[in-house]
Amino acid sequence: MKRRDFIAGVVAAGAAVAAGLYRFTDLFVKHYPPTPYDDVLSVLVDRQEAARLGARVNAAPAPGALATKLRAILKPAGLAGAVGADIAAGRLTEVDGWVVPESVALLSALAAKV
Amino acid sequence: MLEPDIAIIGGGPAGISLALALANTKLNILLLESGGENFDSDVQKMYSGAETGLRYTPLDAGRLRFMGGSSNHWGGYCRPLDEADFAVRSWVPHSGWQITRKALELYFPKAQALCEAGPWVYDQGDAVQEGPLLPLGKGGLYTSWFQFSKTRGGVLPTYFGHRYEQDLKAANNITPYVHANVTAIRLKANGRQVDHLDMATLDSNGGTVNRFTVKPRMVVLATGAMENARLLLASNDVTTAGIGNQNDLVGRFFADHPIPRDVATLVAFGGPLAACYGSSVTLANGAVMRAVFSPTADFLKAKNIAGSLTTVENPVDLDETGTAAVITAAIALGVDASGARAYSLGCGMEPAPDPDRRLVLTGEKDALGLPRLKLNMRLADSDFTLYRQTLVELGRQLLASKAGMLRLNYSHRDQWLKAMDWGNHHLGTTRMSDDPKQGVVNADGMVHGVNNLYVAGSSVFPTYGSSNPTLNLIALTLRLGDHLKKVMA
Repeated sequence: MKRRDFIAGVVAAGAAVAAGLYRFTDLFVKHYPPTPYDDVLSVLVDRQEAARLGARVNAAPAPGALATKLRAILKPAGLAGAVGADIAAGRLTEVDGWVVPESVALLSALAAKV
Repeated sequence: MLEPDIAIIGGGPAGISLALALANTKLNILLLESGGENFDSDVQKMYSGAETGLRYTPLDAGRLRFMGGSSNHWGGYCRPLDEADFAVRSWVPHSGWQITRKALELYFPKAQALCEAGPWVYDQGDAVQEGPLLPLGKGGLYTSWFQFSKTRGGVLPTYFGHRYEQDLKAANNITPYVHANVTAIRLKANGRQVDHLDMATLDSNGGTVNRFTVKPRMVVLATGAMENARLLLASNDVTTAGIGNQNDLVGRFFADHPIPRDVATLVAFGGPLAACYGSSVTLANGAVMRAVFSPTADFLKAKNIAGSLTTVENPVDLDETGTAAVITAAIALGVDASGARAYSLGCGMEPAPDPDRRLVLTGEKDALGLPRLKLNMRLADSDFTLYRQTLVELGRQLLASKAGMLRLNYSHRDQWLKAMDWGNHHLGTTRMSDDPKQGVVNADGMVHGVNNLYVAGSSVFPTYGSSNPTLNLIALTLRLGDHLKKVMA
């Protein structure tokens, strides 16, 4: 075996192991294809479940507008702060009947659109 | 001819409670019950009637016509009306009792005892130890409590006819008459006093066998909100519109508590709810309690909504969207919902008073010749939409406490109606008001313009609250008992 082939093989094997490890960590942290809105969507621990909920949000704006709105909502105090403020102010949205804070509904809608 | 001091027409909870309140006084009391000691289908058939409007319990199915009346199919639920239920509520047309809850406070302990509902606990029920209560964030609803009439060997609950049969017989001044049907209340020619009652009995084939007369000094009509209206309307020989109906109010404002099922899904993030939510628990002091979510007076006023009591019913499974909602919301709230449990919710709603939800007489007659009733049943869209606001607030409070969340299961009238059940709490047809143009009876229960005719029972409720009526109508009847003792002394 030529030295070049050996190195290529090691690199390929390493890549495969790394990819496997990466997928393995899906068990703990889910990975998603990159989007222009990852700065916003990163607050969602389980984007897949959020997307499932978000698919039932009625009349959600386009992703760009959603992301802009969410950046403004999340900027002051993050998701926890936004959710708390929504609940205190009664800013609630019904999603398939589920009463959720408006910020959660918007995030879920964005997750469903990307 | 019988000539008692007081003739009480109707041997249900109101009639029996009133008789017992007047027991062993100098007053000679005649308690007139249409049925016998037990159910009789021929007697029950006299309740049959027609219906228009919303689908409703058949008129001969939601009540019982024998000694003990509708307590014979009572579920035993007790809860006093709230103070706000008595108040004028500017957002509820025709609201406002002529009395406050304070006027009944004196009578609640005795009413509670007659219902055999144990010690008075109700809103001190937070002391229930069987599992932690679901915390609600600050807001418009709080955890309130039903108490229950005593069960006997698992059979619900206090059947007034059987339970108080011996007490009635033991009283030296009470004569219970069974199979004694009042077919007309006859006024004197001036229309201001009852002169006598036309009476009849049925034979075993459902035909009349005997007619006789009762000539009392005082009459108390206690036959339930349907039959009270029927007898007043049918007794129209002197006042042609019917007794007390000079302003066309008798039979109007009929109400019942709508009890739609599965109105919402409640998810408790922390796992199974305490037993006191979905069923009753018995305290060491004997009180049987069940938790219920009730709106505060401030919330009712702020949102211009009506009363309601929301109960936890059965465990349910979540669909994919529900699971996604719980996971997403719990993560956003920073709580662990891995053991979350879901439950369906039910409720009892207070409908808005509606003069066109009414009972009228028809041309058809029963076996004794009394015209049968027709009910026009209605509910306004706002009855549903306003209650929906209460559910949204409950959902908000669950999120605020990070204890759970809520799904509203219905958004269209058709959905509500499809899930509709009824409390069979007949209310409002001889409503109380000191103004004869607004009510049939005054604050004491006296029929306007007829000074020896009173009405007892929930037919006098001008608004309805959301509490079950039995305990409250008994307290009101005991108050009437004290009034009668005074005026007949």
